[in-house]
Amino acid sequence: MTLYVAMVMLMIMLLSLFYYQSQEELMLAEQRASLSKYAYIQTKRLKVLHYFFDERTTYPRDPNFKSAIYDIEFKKIFSLLENEQIHFDKEIYRTGGYIHFVKTLDTYYLGTKYLIIEVKEDTGWKMAVWKHMIGYGALAFLLFMLFGLYLARLFLKPMRDSIMLLDRFIKDTTHELNTPLSSILANIEMMDTRIMAEKNRKKLNRINIAAKTVSTLYKDLTYLTLEQEKANEVEEIVLKPLLENRVEYFDILAKSKNITFVMNLENSTIMADKRKLVRVIDNLISNAIKYNKRGGTIEILLGKRSLVIADSGIGISESDLPYIFDRYMRFNQSEGGFGVGLSIVKKIVDEYGIQLSVESKEGKGTKMVLKW
Amino acid sequence: MVKTVGIFLLLVAGLFAQDIYEQNCIPCHKTLPTSLQQMFKEYLLVYSGEENVKAGLKHYLRYPSKGISVMSELFIDNYGIKKPTTLSRKELDKAVNIYWEKYKVFGKLK
Repeated sequence: MTLYVAMVMLMIMLLSLFYYQSQEELMLAEQRASLSKYAYIQTKRLKVLHYFFDERTTYPRDPNFKSAIYDIEFKKIFSLLENEQIHFDKEIYRTGGYIHFVKTLDTYYLGTKYLIIEVKEDTGWKMAVWKHMIGYGALAFLLFMLFGLYLARLFLKPMRDSIMLLDRFIKDTTHELNTPLSSILANIEMMDTRIMAEKNRKKLNRINIAAKTVSTLYKDLTYLTLEQEKANEVEEIVLKPLLENRVEYFDILAKSKNITFVMNLENSTIMADKRKLVRVIDNLISNAIKYNKRGGTIEILLGKRSLVIADSGIGISESDLPYIFDRYMRFNQSEGGFGVGLSIVKKIVDEYGIQLSVESKEGKGTKMVLKW
Repeated sequence: MVKTVGIFLLLVAGLFAQDIYEQNCIPCHKTLPTSLQQMFKEYLLVYSGEENVKAGLKHYLRYPSKGISVMSELFIDNYGIKKPTTLSRKELDKAVNIYWEKYKVFGKLK
């Protein structure tokens, strides 16, 4: 769109420039006839002065024009011009509010090779040209914009239709996923695992892990498609209990990989929308589990105005680091997901002006630092 | 006797006070009907600028010929072509410079 607007503006500007130049030439052509007549008259006067020089030394003057004479070496012999900027290579031109007509003499009276006739420029034509350029230019711009809009709608319709279809599909499916997923998770919570056989408990754990993984993904997708359009409900959030709650939620996932949490939480608060902050924490913890090695650790350090979530996992290569917040960007195909998690995190932290930095070493782990 | 010697000395002093242009150009042109200023204007008509005029003039004085003269055919038929100058290059430059300064148009128009 920007390119189209730029192209249209460039085209209108070029056309305006051609129009301006042609109008200028037209005006000069009209002036040429009268200036040529003045030059002829002045040449005759110079001829007389030449033969009576130096008994007569008064340069011939005329109320209709000013003039100057220059020799073959472009040296000024005499001048009455108001504007002394002379272009000897042009026959007629505009200069600083004046029009100059340069006549080359064949017989050099008083040594004159160049006779310059000067008249004041009538700026009426310029005003008319500017009016036309602005008027017609605006009209053309409007027409091109309408035409561009029509074309864009015509060409983008199939694409827009498919995007809308996909959007609707995601909205419908995510909505349909919510009920069964909530039911699975609620029922797992309600089950008394103490009276269960070890074999069944393990199976239930796996179901729990799978359901929570799907749940995280579901929440990310609903955030992208639905929730980000909702109004912000900013409140003061006490972070310590929230973090403990989220760690407890992901505990089963962490245990499945023998990952232990090392927590050092100070009392801290932040002004934000709780739903959004939960998405940030969930995504960071979920990634720390997903990309951690078996038996690894996840350190969660909460300061007064900072939060660090560090894992002992596979890390991110230096070349990939600048792209980790790009949507649909995934560097490890062995793990599931759409690659939307960190892009959501980035979007939310940017919204609240939270500074997010990443330190990572391949094979050593990744450290996400939030500061506000 | 003293008076005669005084007059003679004054004449000699006057002769030496003349510049190269007055010594070498004016005497010959005195006999011609066209003044040196008229001839200067003829040069201006043909050559226009200072460098051009001086170059044209010097060339003619060194190698005078009917073909390159700025004067009319009638004038040449009546008075003929002058003899090549005997002045050295330096003296000729000097004489032509004086001639130019004397009759140039620059600074004279008002």
